Amino acid sequence: MVAPAILLLLAFFFTPVMLTGVFAFTDMSTSTGIGRGSYVVTPTTLRRLGDRGLGADDAEAISAASYAVDEAGLAAARDAGTDAAFLADIEERLTGETFETARDFELALRDLPSAPRSPRALKSAADLFGQSLVNHRFETRDELAEALAAHAPDVAEEMREALTDDAYTGAVFTTENFTRLATQPETGRLIANTALYVGATLSLFNVGLGLFLALVLFYMPKPVTGLFSTLWLLPRITPVVLYTIMWKWFTWEDGFLPILAEQLGLPAFNYMKGSVVTAWMTMISLNGFIGASFGLILFSGALRAIPLQQLWASEVDGASRLQQIRRVILPQLRWPILFVTSYQTLSLLSSYEHIWLTTNGGPGRTTTVWALEAFKTALSNYSGNLEYGLGAAMALVLVVVGLALSILYLRLFRFGDLVGRPRIEF
Amino acid sequence: MMTRNFSTLPLVALLTLVSLPLMVMYGFLILDTVTDAPPGELWPDRFTLEHWRFLFDTSVVGNVWQAAGNSLILALSMMVIVLSLSTTAAYAISRLHLPYRRLFLGGILVMHAFPAVTLLIGVFFVLNFTGLYNSMIGVILVKGALMLPFGIWIMKGFYDAVPWEIEMAGVQDGASRFTVWRRLILPQVKPGLVALGVFSFLDGWGEYLLPRILAPGSEMTVLSVFLNELIAGDQLGFDFNLFKSVGVFYTLPVVLLFIIFQDRLMNIFGGGTKG
Repeated sequence: MVAPAILLLLAFFFTPVMLTGVFAFTDMSTSTGIGRGSYVVTPTTLRRLGDRGLGADDAEAISAASYAVDEAGLAAARDAGTDAAFLADIEERLTGETFETARDFELALRDLPSAPRSPRALKSAADLFGQSLVNHRFETRDELAEALAAHAPDVAEEMREALTDDAYTGAVFTTENFTRLATQPETGRLIANTALYVGATLSLFNVGLGLFLALVLFYMPKPVTGLFSTLWLLPRITPVVLYTIMWKWFTWEDGFLPILAEQLGLPAFNYMKGSVVTAWMTMISLNGFIGASFGLILFSGALRAIPLQQLWASEVDGASRLQQIRRVILPQLRWPILFVTSYQTLSLLSSYEHIWLTTNGGPGRTTTVWALEAFKTALSNYSGNLEYGLGAAMALVLVVVGLALSILYLRLFRFGDLVGRPRIEF
Repeated sequence: MMTRNFSTLPLVALLTLVSLPLMVMYGFLILDTVTDAPPGELWPDRFTLEHWRFLFDTSVVGNVWQAAGNSLILALSMMVIVLSLSTTAAYAISRLHLPYRRLFLGGILVMHAFPAVTLLIGVFFVLNFTGLYNSMIGVILVKGALMLPFGIWIMKGFYDAVPWEIEMAGVQDGASRFTVWRRLILPQVKPGLVALGVFSFLDGWGEYLLPRILAPGSEMTVLSVFLNELIAGDQLGFDFNLFKSVGVFYTLPVVLLFIIFQDRLMNIFGGGTKG
């Protein structure tokens, strides 16, 4: 009965975690592609190898073309529209022959009865039979090694090895991603941004505002409570796209706040993207409003669970509302507060959807948090080169933190109580 | 009833002040769909139904009904996956002697607490290797899988609340465990099924990230992506009243479902969602 569920969880929870872990140690990107690469010697490869001691003669030998009249060459010539009679001559008289230089081959071609007159036509026909290692795509390492050995036997064995390694286009294993993360100054700023975002949203809104709303509404007459509870539930159930559109309307120029500010004579601009301070305020409150409703629901539930007799007793003893809240209610809300804090830390750490759709980390990169940067590095940026490896490394950091925190929380919230044993033995 | 040894009015004022942004945003969300304001003004000066033209006229923003249909397919298929897999799996871990039951339950809990969005990059690799990238099937499977730990956990809670006596009586009368589950237990957890079903439907309906990232080239544009393209696309200028009208059209089913199932949903809202 659990098999289908396990299967799906394995495919989309377990495997992604594994793959994130593996690919974090590769340099996989758009240019290497996903999956197996192939082997291509390019002029760039030769130049790179030249810096590592590949002689000019050797490079010449590798990139030099040779000419062989074979099936492939004939087919290429036919596709290129070479004169049929000329082609028949080549096939009849020269099949199986090879020529070291272009000059030799062109001479041989000129002797054929139906050869074209112009040297240029002759040369372009000859080119069709040329074979070069350079820019040819080999599927496996052995194929390239073999071709190299046949083509340029004079090049030293080690040099050929190095060339084959360098010619690989696919991703290779490396710890480069982590060295880069550990050394680049950008990392520090990302961490600082993330800490500010999580800390401010959590303390001001998820816990602070949530608690305030829950406490105030607890003491309010029923109609007021109902009205405000519904209002604060709305951000939670509004689909994210509409919610962000509302915030754009609220903060963009020609939107609500700037128009209001203008009428009041205050500076009016695009508050979401126009300045660092307002961008942060927008980002924190738009996430915080959703978080506050989570806190409100949870704390309200916990408040209703407090026996009313305790509140009556404190009132008989002459406690004011504030004293009642501080001495009676808050101590009993310790666990809900801890729960909201821990649970929401985790989801704020990893959430970026709202930020992506609103400030998108701007202006500049001032509101970019770790999760957003990982996502943009690997899956969505405008430069077009997606660095899957680096993105996976950044995601891996989050995965490890996330796993550690969730296991820690489970200990904290007494996992053992939740797993009683079944009472029927089959 | 408690005494009123404090004054309500300042607190209500404070409450209103704090809630003002939300009131403004949601108030104008509704107001703006049927009115027009002169440029640079806050208050509308005339009533119009022009913003709703997109419902009949595909030249305004494209075909919203088709996008809505696609969203419906996504949300419904995901709901079916979540419901069927979590009712079975949750029963097994709630009531049967499974090997590694504790480990499995712990795993489910960790996965439930674990922020699933961080897996997106890994999921992207999986879809690429399995060839499901850029297809709505991939999105549905991923969305279903990511919701599964939550579903299993919620359903386990409902199963745990069913008295063992019902089950024992069924077994006593000679029914197999499967029959007991289907005939006796499932009817008992129906409130849970309804709540989870509505909840996962809403989740699928609101989803934006997965279809946008995992199936960017898919023929099936869902309503969330459709709506965001409008504002990102720029070709309409920024006609927020139009965006809001499309947005309200998009959110109407959510609000309706919520009103109908409010009480049952609140049960799982408290313990469940992330955000």
